[in-house]
Amino acid sequence: MSGEKKVKGIKKGAVEKSLDCALKNPSYKIEISISEDRIVTLEGLVDTWQEVVNAGHAVAKVKGVRNVVNNMRSKDYTPTIEDNSEQIAEVLRSGNTERCDVVIVGGGVSGCAIARVLGKYELDVMLLEKNSDIASESTKANNGNIHPGVRATPGSLKAELNLKGNAMYTKLAEDLDFTLKRPGSLGVFYNKNQWRMFKLLKVLRDTGIGKHIKPLSQIMKVPGLKWLSAEEVNKLEPNLRGEPVGGFLMTTMGLVEPFEVCQAFAENAADNGVTFKLNTKVLDIIKENNIVTKVVTDHSVIECKTVINAAGVYADNIAEMVDDKFYTIHPRKGSIAIFDKNRKGFFNTPAGAMGQADHTNNTKGGGASITPEGNMLWGPTAKEIPNKEDKSVEPGDIEYIMHLGAGVTDEIKRNEIITYFAGVRAPDYKEDFIVEPSRHVEGFIHVAGIQSPGLASAPAIAEMVEGFVKEQYVDLNEKKDYNPKRVGIPKFRELSHAEQDELIKKNPKYGNIICRCEMITEGEIVDAIHSSVPATTLDAVKRRTRAGMGRCQSGFCGPKVVELLSRELGVPMEEVTLKGADSKILLNNNRELGGHHD
Amino acid sequence: MIRRNIDVAVIGGGPAGLAAAIECKKQGIDKVMIIERDDSLGGILQQCIHDGFGLHRFGKRLSGSEYADNFIAELKEYKIEVESKTIVIDITKDKVIYAMNEEEGMMEITCGAIILAMGCRERSRSQVFIWGTRPSGVLTAGTVQRYINIEGYVPGKKAVILGSGDIGLIMARRMTLEGIEVEGVYELMDSPGGLTRNIAQCLKDYDIPMHLSTTVVKTHGNKKLEGVTVAKVDENRKPIPGSERYIECDLLVLAVGLIPENELSSKIQIEIDSRTKGPVVDEHFMTSMDGVFAAGNVVTVFDLVDYVSITGEIAGRGAAAYVKGELDSSLPFTELVPGENVSFVVPQHVRAGNLDESLQLYFRVRAKKEKVKVNVTGETAEYHSKRHRVVLPPEMIVEDMKNTNISGEEKIIVSVSEV
Repeated sequence: MSGEKKVKGIKKGAVEKSLDCALKNPSYKIEISISEDRIVTLEGLVDTWQEVVNAGHAVAKVKGVRNVVNNMRSKDYTPTIEDNSEQIAEVLRSGNTERCDVVIVGGGVSGCAIARVLGKYELDVMLLEKNSDIASESTKANNGNIHPGVRATPGSLKAELNLKGNAMYTKLAEDLDFTLKRPGSLGVFYNKNQWRMFKLLKVLRDTGIGKHIKPLSQIMKVPGLKWLSAEEVNKLEPNLRGEPVGGFLMTTMGLVEPFEVCQAFAENAADNGVTFKLNTKVLDIIKENNIVTKVVTDHSVIECKTVINAAGVYADNIAEMVDDKFYTIHPRKGSIAIFDKNRKGFFNTPAGAMGQADHTNNTKGGGASITPEGNMLWGPTAKEIPNKEDKSVEPGDIEYIMHLGAGVTDEIKRNEIITYFAGVRAPDYKEDFIVEPSRHVEGFIHVAGIQSPGLASAPAIAEMVEGFVKEQYVDLNEKKDYNPKRVGIPKFRELSHAEQDELIKKNPKYGNIICRCEMITEGEIVDAIHSSVPATTLDAVKRRTRAGMGRCQSGFCGPKVVELLSRELGVPMEEVTLKGADSKILLNNNRELGGHHD
Repeated sequence: MIRRNIDVAVIGGGPAGLAAAIECKKQGIDKVMIIERDDSLGGILQQCIHDGFGLHRFGKRLSGSEYADNFIAELKEYKIEVESKTIVIDITKDKVIYAMNEEEGMMEITCGAIILAMGCRERSRSQVFIWGTRPSGVLTAGTVQRYINIEGYVPGKKAVILGSGDIGLIMARRMTLEGIEVEGVYELMDSPGGLTRNIAQCLKDYDIPMHLSTTVVKTHGNKKLEGVTVAKVDENRKPIPGSERYIECDLLVLAVGLIPENELSSKIQIEIDSRTKGPVVDEHFMTSMDGVFAAGNVVTVFDLVDYVSITGEIAGRGAAAYVKGELDSSLPFTELVPGENVSFVVPQHVRAGNLDESLQLYFRVRAKKEKVKVNVTGETAEYHSKRHRVVLPPEMIVEDMKNTNISGEEKIIVSVSEV
């Protein structure tokens, strides 16, 4: 470990020291390299995955470090290395070529928001999604909070985009016809001293002094903060446990269904000419003279000028394809539990007890929230995991989720949970968003490290990317027939009986309830299947319409939706899948002639 | 919007609803209507092609659909109106039903009385806390039954069944006959959940092993189910570390219990018994809402369809009497309280003054016991007692109480004690 003491303002000694502190094991041999543009790369073998993560975080905090590429391995996890070279060669040989201007990699909420803004211009845009539906990864396992933006580190990109994105949602919900509720978010105090301390914030805010105190500067910028007396807290949330002494309401907190937002962005983009290629995986990106020229997918070669990397948890893999991986995404799993709707109204706001939460992780997460439909939603947990594909829920997760909710109520029991699931967040080691054009490869834009508050920030991220694209394409014209509005599928359950009657008269399919728990009609499902970004799997239909999201968890409607998918897509029942290739639901028809199976 | 007036509306055309509607008509009620969400009557019986139905009522072994057909034929004789492919989406306290279908749109039906007969639904994987991924190939037993018996499709090659209730047992046999390899039936409890005859006919006859005190703890596979982990459980039903075993399979069938379906009941705040998960009912199976009755598995999940039909008839008679103004709902209640080794009693309370010469009590025991005596006792007298050779938690106990002269009793206790 010799060499120059300082590279581009980073003291190598400081990096070494931070590693020693994080790992506390002198026998580990970690190789450190520092690049010209202040990226620290780590190599080495340690015992546990958590140590790998700790090392990455520690180094990212060293002064001057722009980001960390953490190639360390741990003895408790053996990664499987994917070799696509043969498949790439085959696609290149096939001569199957397409052409467009901009390729967006990833159909999560970031990718779809970007697609929507780029749909405005005279550009050929393609969005590639490896799954059978948009919103299939982190976006679907999001708690739907449009965060007010208090918790982001002051001065971070997150902090800026969160505030901006939150404000943009009101108009977006109107234009794109998705449900947005702004019940605010309640912080409750049970301890008088803590409450008194906290009220100092009010003084700092009111006087404007707080703006000058750096750690408080973000919270000072958040609009609509309201201080509540104990009585006001109780009036707002009569079911809180114990005796709150006071609290505050962040009135800008919004609630959405993340998949509905994503679908709204995507459908509007598609309506304006963006091509959505589902079931399409990016295998390689080809550049010539450091300019992006082609994207190789498992179906074709796409000649293009711009690639926007919105690949979420896989963003570092995509960046590596153009030799511009300057960050490592370390998957952080979050499990969420949804409770039965019969508790609708128990809480009116996402609520959290202050001064006792475990802030052991780098994410906002963890709390008693609610969905716009009224289900209680608790979680997510936060657990660093080595495997990006690992979406399994573990026994400890529900214990932890119940513990999160116990801060505000002891009345809700775990047997009221109707489902739980896990998603994987996509943080880098700086724990900030990376939204910038590549410094080395022309036409490549990074949209990486997007984790909470990524959903709240998505519109602002898209706007930023729009700026970069406009810089690349000078004289870019807006489409003459661009339509910023989208009309969503009618939500039968929300209509009055007279309106329902009218809708059935217009389209009798709305008179046939398929999902009886959530009151979802055949009309809604058929509309989702034929959407401009079609829902072609059972899970896609569920996310688009809510069919199967209720307390019976698709026990009754599952077979009916399979039948509808088969009928509408014109494929045999056996070809219908839960979530794309390799997830068929039925094996074969047992009534076919000679239907003998072994 | 179409507006109609009906004397008695029966929500659900399964065994409870059919029996209730017929009984109503027999009692001389003119306008009786069954509202059925499916396109045919019979409810879940339509997918029950196995036999064993109707031993009590018809004295012979019928398939589920044959059992239903007997009632459907009678229904036609009585010319009872049926709105099929029609679903009730709302109900109000003044007994107005909003029901809809594709042809007629929304209908506002004002009713003299309402009988809730929506049946029950299956518990899902999350409700029994199975960990792991969420691949395809994890289905409830009823869904598998529908796929195989109604749709004609086979959902897997090798299955593990969790839950030894009757549906699990019947599906073990059914899947075996369809060529699916049933690796075994796993039961969390230390005794089987289904009827003894089904264990013999569905498992033993096909050499399918049953593993008691064992449960499925985890599913594997991101897209299609690749296998499950099972584990032995201790006396607190918690998995025992180290007892895990991986089983390769592409189908996990969940037969982990049924819950009364009370979505509509909750819309009008009908009082629900936390033990049965169904409405609290009186001697006529009237709920806490005046003029709204409940029958069959909406009230509590019965083991035999015969009882479902009987409760349908009780509710049918009750609704008819209500419409005719013959029910006195001002009389005081006597509570029927579960005592020793009894988990619940249906009905939960009765009006002594409204009772006929006999009262049927439905209840289950908490634990298996041999040589027991059922006692129904009040403060002043013992009203009923009967000896049983053996009582099992899965089997509903039905006692015909002949002494119904209970007026003055605030509560009477139903207990099952060893003799």
